[in-house]
Amino acid sequence: MADPSDNPTLRAVLATGFRLVGRYISWHPVAFGLAVLGAGMFASAIIGAALFVGSIADTVLRPIIEEGEPAGNRAIVAGLALLGIATWKATGIVVRRTAAGYLQYRTQADVRQRLVDKQLSLTLAWYQQRSVGDLLAVSDADAQGATFVLAPLPYGAAAAALLLGTMVMVFFVDLTLGIIVLFSLVVVLAVNLWGSWQMFQAYERIQARRGDVSDTAHESFDGALTVKALGREDYETSRLEAKSQALRDELVTVGVLRGNLRAIVDTLPPLTSVVVLVVGAFRYDAGAVSPGDLVAITYLLSQLMFPIRLVGFVLWEIAASVAAWRRVGGVLDSDEVQQHGILEGTSDGSGADLSTDAVAFSYEPGQEILSDIDLTIEPGTTIAIVGPTGSGKSTLVMLLARLWDPISGVITLDARDLRDFAPSELPTEVSFVGQEAFLFDDSVSGNIGLGIITEGAVIKEAADLAAATEFIDLLPNGFATKVGERGASLSGGQRQRIALARALARRPRLLILDDATSAVDPSVESRIQAALSSSNMPATVVLVAYRPSSIRLADSIVYVEDGRIVAHATHDELMRTQPGYSRLMLAYERDAEGRAGNVSGAPL
Amino acid sequence: MSQESGATWGALRRAFVVAPALRKGLGLTLVLTAIGTALRIVVPFAVQQILDGQLFQDAPIDGGAILLKGGIAGIAMVVSALAARAATIRLTRSAAAGLSDLRVMTFAHLQGLSALHTESERRGALVARITSDPETIARFMEWGGPGLIVGSAQIVLAVGAMMWFDWRLTMVVLVGVGIYAVALLWFQDILRRAHDKVRVLVGKSLTAVGESISGLPVIRAFGVEAETADRVRTALDAQFDAEYRTGRLGAFLFSSAEVFAGAINGLVVVVGVALGTQGSLSAGTLVAFLFLINLFVEPIQMLVEVIDQAQSAGSGLRRILGVLDTPSDVPEVSPRDAIVLPEDMLDVSFDGVRFRYPDGEADVLVDVSVCISKGENVAVVGETGSGKTTFAKLVTRLMDTSAGSVRLGGVPVRAIQFADLRSRIAYVPQEGFLFDTTIEANVRYGKLSATQDEIRNAFAELGLTTWIDSLVDGLATEVGERGSQLSAGERQLVALTRAWIAQPSLLVLDEATSAVDPALDVQLRQAMERITRSRTSVTIAHRLSTAEAADRVLVFADGVLVEDGDHTTLLEQQGVYALMHEDWARGTTG
Repeated sequence: MADPSDNPTLRAVLATGFRLVGRYISWHPVAFGLAVLGAGMFASAIIGAALFVGSIADTVLRPIIEEGEPAGNRAIVAGLALLGIATWKATGIVVRRTAAGYLQYRTQADVRQRLVDKQLSLTLAWYQQRSVGDLLAVSDADAQGATFVLAPLPYGAAAAALLLGTMVMVFFVDLTLGIIVLFSLVVVLAVNLWGSWQMFQAYERIQARRGDVSDTAHESFDGALTVKALGREDYETSRLEAKSQALRDELVTVGVLRGNLRAIVDTLPPLTSVVVLVVGAFRYDAGAVSPGDLVAITYLLSQLMFPIRLVGFVLWEIAASVAAWRRVGGVLDSDEVQQHGILEGTSDGSGADLSTDAVAFSYEPGQEILSDIDLTIEPGTTIAIVGPTGSGKSTLVMLLARLWDPISGVITLDARDLRDFAPSELPTEVSFVGQEAFLFDDSVSGNIGLGIITEGAVIKEAADLAAATEFIDLLPNGFATKVGERGASLSGGQRQRIALARALARRPRLLILDDATSAVDPSVESRIQAALSSSNMPATVVLVAYRPSSIRLADSIVYVEDGRIVAHATHDELMRTQPGYSRLMLAYERDAEGRAGNVSGAPL
Repeated sequence: MSQESGATWGALRRAFVVAPALRKGLGLTLVLTAIGTALRIVVPFAVQQILDGQLFQDAPIDGGAILLKGGIAGIAMVVSALAARAATIRLTRSAAAGLSDLRVMTFAHLQGLSALHTESERRGALVARITSDPETIARFMEWGGPGLIVGSAQIVLAVGAMMWFDWRLTMVVLVGVGIYAVALLWFQDILRRAHDKVRVLVGKSLTAVGESISGLPVIRAFGVEAETADRVRTALDAQFDAEYRTGRLGAFLFSSAEVFAGAINGLVVVVGVALGTQGSLSAGTLVAFLFLINLFVEPIQMLVEVIDQAQSAGSGLRRILGVLDTPSDVPEVSPRDAIVLPEDMLDVSFDGVRFRYPDGEADVLVDVSVCISKGENVAVVGETGSGKTTFAKLVTRLMDTSAGSVRLGGVPVRAIQFADLRSRIAYVPQEGFLFDTTIEANVRYGKLSATQDEIRNAFAELGLTTWIDSLVDGLATEVGERGSQLSAGERQLVALTRAWIAQPSLLVLDEATSAVDPALDVQLRQAMERITRSRTSVTIAHRLSTAEAADRVLVFADGVLVEDGDHTTLLEQQGVYALMHEDWARGTTG
């Protein structure tokens, strides 16, 4: 989309564009070479056809038809020769299109693969700064856009060869005619390049206006209930109308530009043909050229319309590709790569000892989210992290799973710094389950095993513990059922139970649950908790929870406020000593008591 | 295909009626296009005239005649260029204006369809009616459409010119090109099917790439980076293979067409020479023919490609017209039959109300009869899918009953004009939708004439001044897309204030389910209490504490109103409500 802040010049775009093209060519030089070869065959066929038509005018048509020479088989030979030239041209097209197709599709796949590989290696802190929608657009539309230039490039090379060949041929025939054609082609190319550049910039503005229309419609439809409930349908329609008319006006501006450009670019070559014919007639009179030469030149000029248009098209694609590549490069060139050590994980399932020393974290310098976090968790215990919204609970548990790294301080698992683990090793000991249960477009067991754990028994056992088997068995294909994109066919609570099973299947030494059962019914949740505590899973458990029933199950509770640990004690102790904690725990009861006057609430 | 193109043609005619801007001045545009195209065949004529008249003659050339012919040809071309330019601009202008009208019209019409809020899964498709469908049509009108017109005109003119030169050679060309065109259409069909297969694989690889991005935190947490990269590689390779294979097929098919065009040229030379030796064809004419074949074959190649574009534009257009043809399911009453709502508070009565979605199999609400008196605060509870949201939407006439009647203040809802209805009742949906602008502008949405002071007062009356003042930018705080810069609870606060500022006589509230921080929760609760105090209210309660505080509780199960009474009475009944309360209490107290 057009970004008004940086408005690159034509020169800068071309420079970047040629470098980009050079980079792509270096990935697949053979395919590019073949494509250009095919394009050259194609161009030579067009020039050859024109020369041939000119020569048959002189050697076949005129002598036989006008001067009555016997035809013999000259006409048939000429006809077969035209067919031969067409076959040569067709072969050129096959070679060019095949090689260019390989070049474009392969490069596109390469760019996407590089993007994915790179993103998988970057830190989540980097990921956090980017919107997922933007990153998806980079991998989808931008990866495609960045390689668009490859589609017309070989043909563009052919067009350039064709124009050059035309010039050589015309100058070879006659200097005067050569100058006329050269002048005409230079003018038409200059106008076309300039016009295409203007059109490209205008097109970026159109895209921005299209985005406005689409954003307004999306927003309005998302808020349809509000719009309707408040009776603001007309207001919304006028809002969309304003955006739609802005788009319309921009489209008209471009239409005028296109009309002007077309008028010049499409008219100059045939006009040149007429000039060549007229001037050529006088040159013929002077004995400088033959009628066949003139036929050849005019025939060639009549074939140049499309190649000339294409030169503008190539420029357009270069500009579009450069714009898309800037966004692709923004990801590929990022240096925020997750660093690793060489430690290997042990997966005996025993509870791990976790401790943090003076850990601090902030997203932006000066705005600390967490500070002075000193925490020691005994192996095999369950602790709950409790605090008001925005107190830093989720951030803290993400640090414990090394989804992010602290700004300062050290986190250790059995006295080993989390950052010393080799890639993919820490997850063999630590399992993290977030609130949003992300499922892949795969089967239930594929989602639990994630391609690493394949034994059915292990997966089944984990699903049992997570109280997931009861609904999985009712699915059409049980554990083999495909869950659809993002698990769309399942409810939120079901997705969370599968995500929990995914963590349990690994028999982690440290299990971290960040409000991981928020969408599960309280009665099911209590069954899960019962199953977990009676299982032979000695893991250390850290959980963030809101429901008092979940919090009560912990051996001890870490109470957090404003990014600091206020207290680490048992529930009863905290209820006595921490007014903030007791207020939080009692919120529901207080509320109920205040209204109903009496009421329930088993004493905590 | 003929049936489909017939349907496309019909849709186009309808579009001309619905959006007259599309066809405004179309006649003159077509004439200009014809002129612009006609003069493109000037070159072959000039070639023939100058060759036959001068160069192929043994006599010395007549400079004056050549200059005259060249001059006429040149002027004709300039006129042609100007006509084509005018036609392009006029076409863009009417297409852009007509499509903008069509878009706005479709948007306005969609606003009247309840599918917009009842079927959120279809929302993406509905947005497409406003965005991508008009764009498909625009692309066709800007590129394919003129190509179609110019191309057809060019074909007609080229054939006409060939006939004028020599009808026998024309027959040779027509038969040849006819076979060629049929072959192209056949190739196009083969390619289309190949492309359909590619599209499926493109979808799969997009999913794989997309998951590697949206699922990155999970991938990192479970250390499955290598497995994910492999999965993406497999999908991308499958996509590449299919694309490359289809590309090769296309290259082969279209280049074979090129051979065919060459064969026609060769045939024309052979037949032309034969005719020439009989003295019935001049050499210049034969050369002109070779030029004309180009003018003929080129648009045919283009037309074959335009057919696809035309078909997708046609189906886009049909989808838009389909929306415009869907009658509004909650129609406005005619002013003649309208009854004005009484002043003061409103009561609500349901009499034998049933509701079923148009394509639904079972009733969502079954035979509901209930009266809510003026000033009563009612809570509605029930499991997901019990019909409580449907109940609220029927009260506010966001949907109409399938049977039975709903009355507000004694007036049947269908007899109340929307302007009257919406100014008297307010509905606050669960998610508290906010627009991407400031808090102030979001509240003003409830009352467009509200001044800044009124808005500030509204927050004060709901006891929210402290909250507003705690925000760095106060009322001017930008809330972000869908209010994402605020928490769920804060969004609900703004939504409540927006409803409050409209001072409705009846308030229907759908309580938020998401967990909010206790401090904010207290404020939300107080605001809700104040806003319902002096008016009739219906609250869809997700927390049973809200039900406890209400004057009366309506309990829905499977679309039936099963229990009706206050909290204490219902607990004593040991029914559905008592069970729900027990489960809820377990979750909150442990």
